[in-house]
Amino acid sequence: MAGIELAPAEIQALQDLTILVFAPLVSGAIAHLEGRLQARRGPRILQPYYDIAKLFRKETLVPDEASWFFLAGPVVAFACYLTVPLLIPVLTQYPLPLGYMGDILGGGFILSLAGFAVGLAALETGGAYAQLGSSRAMTFGALIEPSILFVTFTVALVTATDLPYFEAAAVRSSLGQAIDPAHLLAAVAFFLVVLNDTSRIPVETHASTLEFGMIDEARTLEHSGPAFALLKWGSAMKQLILYVILINVFAAPWGEAGSRQIGPVLLAIPAFIGKALGVGAIFAVIDSSFSKLRLFKITEFMAVAFLLAVLAVLVLFLGGR
Amino acid sequence: MTSLGTSPTTLNDAADVVALLVLLSEFAMLRSSLSRSQVRLYAFQSLCVSILAGFVAATRHIVELYGLMGMSFLLKVIVVPLIIVRLVKEIRVDVTASHRIGVATMVLLAIVLSVFGVFVVGHLPVHSRSLPILPLALAAAVILVSFLLVIVRNDVVSQAIGFFSLENGVSVASLVLAAGLPLIVELAFLFDLLVAVVVFGLLMRVHHGRTGTLSTQALDRLRG
Repeated sequence: MAGIELAPAEIQALQDLTILVFAPLVSGAIAHLEGRLQARRGPRILQPYYDIAKLFRKETLVPDEASWFFLAGPVVAFACYLTVPLLIPVLTQYPLPLGYMGDILGGGFILSLAGFAVGLAALETGGAYAQLGSSRAMTFGALIEPSILFVTFTVALVTATDLPYFEAAAVRSSLGQAIDPAHLLAAVAFFLVVLNDTSRIPVETHASTLEFGMIDEARTLEHSGPAFALLKWGSAMKQLILYVILINVFAAPWGEAGSRQIGPVLLAIPAFIGKALGVGAIFAVIDSSFSKLRLFKITEFMAVAFLLAVLAVLVLFLGGR
Repeated sequence: MTSLGTSPTTLNDAADVVALLVLLSEFAMLRSSLSRSQVRLYAFQSLCVSILAGFVAATRHIVELYGLMGMSFLLKVIVVPLIIVRLVKEIRVDVTASHRIGVATMVLLAIVLSVFGVFVVGHLPVHSRSLPILPLALAAAVILVSFLLVIVRNDVVSQAIGFFSLENGVSVASLVLAAGLPLIVELAFLFDLLVAVVVFGLLMRVHHGRTGTLSTQALDRLRG
């Protein structure tokens, strides 16, 4: 069947659009499922869209002390979250032209830049809780970094590149690669990293209003109106981006389009959203079955992630024998 | 040829994963603060070792290893954990965290040790017919980490568990290096383990009777 072929640029734009449009949906579905698991009715699945739409209509209040970056920060972060989907395999198995622009580390840098922008905007406010959140987010971000580096090393050792597309291709190539101990370890380590970066239990209570336990969530306390909408939307997008890397690079890189035909590419969207909802369900179950770690115990959690990532590299060191 | 019809590399990968679980449960023992969960982890680790023995028996057609698998399952997964759990229950001490240093520091130290173990063993010119080299390297790491467990935890249960899991590490190493060892030698190892259980059981009771606690910190208070 000869369908219409999409240009690579169009597919790339479609990847961005998928993340942009469906991120609040995935967030909403997780929140709904969490409510159900806790014997509540839970918010509507579409609630995040309503929230964002409402916030865009509200006025923006800026603290007296804040400079221009207070409002620029959310925009910079949002732009970063729009850039990362260009680098990672959202819909296709084959690398798109811009996919060569940055490797996993490149994507990580852009995500860190977004975190930096949000953190700086929070520091601008002079609000105690926002500053506390900003400081904590930076500290824990630095502590989780070694695990991310070692996961990257694992990918680099497996594929001799550090492009996410090639790791996914290696996993698809054989079942043996999928149950390779190094790959399993790196995947679990990355799972823990995602747990940390999407501010889930056991690191942080996602939907809490208790400021003392907050890390990432506290940074946005002083924002309001459209800037806050961008922050909320951005954090949903960041979550979906991390799910993309977890699913389409490590855990289940199946179902993406293998060609540029319009059919498979469009089919890849519901396939990916389905997989993301599945992963989201796992996160919701974890959220409801564990308790939050004490702030000073979070380092133990990170030590576990680091342990798994280091073991992955060790296994690869001996794996060739 | 392997008996399961899958490729040898996939089988070896499966063995590697089981050996990794042995090491990971050792790490979990190192950080878990409840004696009971330590015992459970020890049972799980022993189960992994038994599976590994059964794996080598099945793939390399060494019949004696089935016997070893059965014996080690019976002793290390069922009997020894039950004995220790009963002892801890009788003594009725809520064993609290007995870490001398912070958990994250401890895990980092253990990582350094296992990296050392894996690298050293990885450079040995060993070629085993029964298993890949990785389980041997991981066994070295298990042994080193169990030493760390005995050193940095100051309660008697941890030290007993550390010693028993040391034996698990040695078992994995012997599966790689000497899978064809006569069954009688392997059984002698298991008998040693039983002796150790008796000794540690005695130690726990005497220690608890003298000091009223399971912590070894009370031992530096000398009485003339």
